[in-house]
Amino acid sequence: MQNTWLITGPPGCGKTTWIRDSFLKHQGTCAYLRLSGSEQDGLQQGHNAGIDSTWLQDQIPELLDLRTTAGAPRPTAPRLLLIEVQQFQPPTSSGPDGIDPQVLRQLEVFNLRPDRSLHFGLDPELPHEDVLDFKRLESWHRNLQGCVWDPNSLSSFWFELVNGAYGDVYRAKALMNMPDGRSFLCNWMVSQQSSQFLPLEAVEPPAGRPNRTSHLVVQGRALDPAGIESTIDDCLLTDDVLELHQAPLRDRQHALQSNG
Amino acid sequence: MTMSHAVISCLHANLAACEAVLADIDQQGIDTITCLGDLVGYGPQPNEVIELVRERSIPTCQGCWDEDIIDGLNACECSYPSQLAERRGHRAHHWAAERITEDNKVFLASLPMTLRRDRLLFVHGSPNSQHEYLLPDMSAFAALERVETAGAETLFCGHTHQPYVRELSEGSIRVSVQTNGNHNDSEQAMTLPMRRIINAGSVGEPRHGSTKATYVVHDDDSGAVSVVKWSTTSPKPVKPSLRRDYPRCSPGV
Repeated sequence: MQNTWLITGPPGCGKTTWIRDSFLKHQGTCAYLRLSGSEQDGLQQGHNAGIDSTWLQDQIPELLDLRTTAGAPRPTAPRLLLIEVQQFQPPTSSGPDGIDPQVLRQLEVFNLRPDRSLHFGLDPELPHEDVLDFKRLESWHRNLQGCVWDPNSLSSFWFELVNGAYGDVYRAKALMNMPDGRSFLCNWMVSQQSSQFLPLEAVEPPAGRPNRTSHLVVQGRALDPAGIESTIDDCLLTDDVLELHQAPLRDRQHALQSNG
Repeated sequence: MTMSHAVISCLHANLAACEAVLADIDQQGIDTITCLGDLVGYGPQPNEVIELVRERSIPTCQGCWDEDIIDGLNACECSYPSQLAERRGHRAHHWAAERITEDNKVFLASLPMTLRRDRLLFVHGSPNSQHEYLLPDMSAFAALERVETAGAETLFCGHTHQPYVRELSEGSIRVSVQTNGNHNDSEQAMTLPMRRIINAGSVGEPRHGSTKATYVVHDDDSGAVSVVKWSTTSPKPVKPSLRRDYPRCSPGV
């Protein structure tokens, strides 16, 4: 038997965290799908850059992402399929009738029909602390694949970003590469006291630029994309500097292997 | 009646923050203000900040940026905390060096390295150099040595942009002197009363985990000290004409 639930809510309300916790509690097979929500007047959707999917797959390696595995043969049928959609307003009615038509069209492509639909801020079984009612929202994003950050510069940039140096940022989410091969999920919501910096389980060897998802998505008002871009460019490591960071790490690893 | 004085540091050409902090100090009825330098760098209004300090005749010692700008160096020689800070620092130096008036450069050059009032010593970095960082976690021995050899009971410093008050109590220094070829060391030890290092943080470029400017208020009679964190989140906007030619050396301006 398969449970197919549609999980909707505004940006930063905790959809992905709730989905992760639900998967971790579930005993059987888990599957995930992220769909695009509808834009409304003055409310831009956050770009679906694969951050949520990458984070969930890192935390739950056996997780099936239907977007990448839809065509592949599945050894076992998923038991719990959670579909995530960013949606600013609660549905007008519960059940399938309340599903946004644009989301329904995407579901048809995957031949899916949710048997439950839960919206943050509406359904009491979901947490509601971070559910905000946005009136206007701009969205900006940058693909950072292959980019590696100077760690202290990332710390400064993120502090500036969430403290209003580049506009009123309500929501910021990113996967950022460090020179030592680690990647961090950087997560900020205006309703929270502080940012989360969560290391991914998967660590790349410190040998050049990693080829994995790295992206920054920002939502807010009066954003300053040129300012953000300019600061990011000052924070990213060149090939030469990256090598300066990584060479001693490789030497240390080789020494440990030789001694071990 | 108690005698309080305020200590500000690292103004970094941020006029709006300077005006807000000075207004806050004035409101408390504090007449004596000491500035620990770094009037320029990072921010967009170096001349205006220098002129504000000059107008108010605030006793000021020379910071590392003040020294390097007048020496014609193209960057502050201190180690930067990040690649971002280094690149911004280099750009800010070039930009500011071209714009600070000759008269203001003469003023920066005239600033003393240290100021002293009784047993209170005021420096930018350390008594040894404007460029030396007295970090809150430096070894107690090194910290005590800096204060004691400068002949101070309380040392006020800035430079780190992180405010702190550090008390060095029950300290002693043991000195062993060995002359050439003579292995009979003469050894002296002295026990020291409590010494303090008070870091004022930064008005114009705070780096203590918040955007609030910081300064300290010290009571000369009781020795009580408080670190004031002052929100400057609604500063006067930088003039558009200034924005056009000002490189992004500091966020939000």
